Amino acid sequence: MNPREKLSAILISLGLILALLPLSSNRSFNARPEKVLEEILDPEITVTADQTARLVASGDNSFQLIDLRSREEFRAFNIPGSVNIPYNEFLDTDPHQILKNGKSINILYSNGDIYSNYAVTIARGLRYNNTFAMKGGLNEWFNTVMNSAFSGERISARENALYEARFRARKLFTEINSLPDSLKQKFIESKRLAAKKLDGGCE
Amino acid sequence: MGPISSLITMPGWLEMLIALLIGTGFGFALEQAGFSSSRKLVGMFYGYDTTVLKVFFTAAIVALVGSQFLSYFGLLNLSQVYVNEYYAGASIIGGIIMGAGFIMGGYCPGTGLSALSIGKIDAVVFALGGFTGAFLFGETYPLIQNFANGSYKGAEKIDEALGISTGLFIFLLIVAAAGMFWIGELAEKKFARPDITGEI
Repeated sequence: MNPREKLSAILISLGLILALLPLSSNRSFNARPEKVLEEILDPEITVTADQTARLVASGDNSFQLIDLRSREEFRAFNIPGSVNIPYNEFLDTDPHQILKNGKSINILYSNGDIYSNYAVTIARGLRYNNTFAMKGGLNEWFNTVMNSAFSGERISARENALYEARFRARKLFTEINSLPDSLKQKFIESKRLAAKKLDGGCE
Repeated sequence: MGPISSLITMPGWLEMLIALLIGTGFGFALEQAGFSSSRKLVGMFYGYDTTVLKVFFTAAIVALVGSQFLSYFGLLNLSQVYVNEYYAGASIIGGIIMGAGFIMGGYCPGTGLSALSIGKIDAVVFALGGFTGAFLFGETYPLIQNFANGSYKGAEKIDEALGISTGLFIFLLIVAAAGMFWIGELAEKKFARPDITGEI
């Protein structure tokens, strides 16, 4: 065997091992700055607190809420069904492990707009176009969903559906967040496990 | 874990110093491998010496395999490694110009500087040509700006574009490289010229 054949044999063997390993097939950040700017200024990349409340209340399992706040803030309260990925972790770890979860929609939220918008910019740049930010974050969630009350004499069918969804989301939010810490932690763990399962290995 | 520059905040001068040391080492290795000889380099085009193909392809594959294994074992975060952006039209035209310059001048930019450092006269002329080209590019940039920035494909990787897994792409690339090394050696036998090692 000459050196060329030896080297080729070693490299082909290593290549074969790599072909069989479940490597994370990272997508590249793939957008021009002006295109990213145009996209993040587009209101289409956000969902309102009401839309999120409707999804939460429906018990639909095809979306994933991602809470970008710190672990302490998440433990204090969170929107039911959320998984906690603090913003710094979102940046430090491979975002693909978080976003490639098989869900049809990912909704990111933080306290306000800043971190969720940053994270959506990264996600959209990585072409996860099913990722949205909840406009106004938890501040808006509290204003719209938690503290809303109908005032008026007659309620239309549309308003009725809206307030019904808000009421159900609020009830779920209160129930889960009023659980004792031990149970809440278990609830969070179970959510994390559920999210982990979806990461998959051989994609 | 990410690339060193993303893990540690270094002052600008230290980054430049590291770049200088790495560059010096690279240049030294190029020179020692005989890459400061334009006759050895253009041998690639005439088929009598395919060292360039073998060296650069091997380097690329070793880096590819190494980085993927490091990433797999959690020692390197590949999402923090910069991927060059791809402008399709500009890359094709640029590649043709670079190839033409390579065959006419006998060097590629790095090996040209390597040859310049050991005082080769043709490398001096080559470097002057390179700087003239860079100057002309700068001066005519407004005219070609639209073309240069057109057909932008982003920082896309080939496996993404083909829709195959990274591992499979690496394997296919290695097989292709091994095939080319084999063809390269056949070409070296077919187009053999007298040994010039003593003259360079």
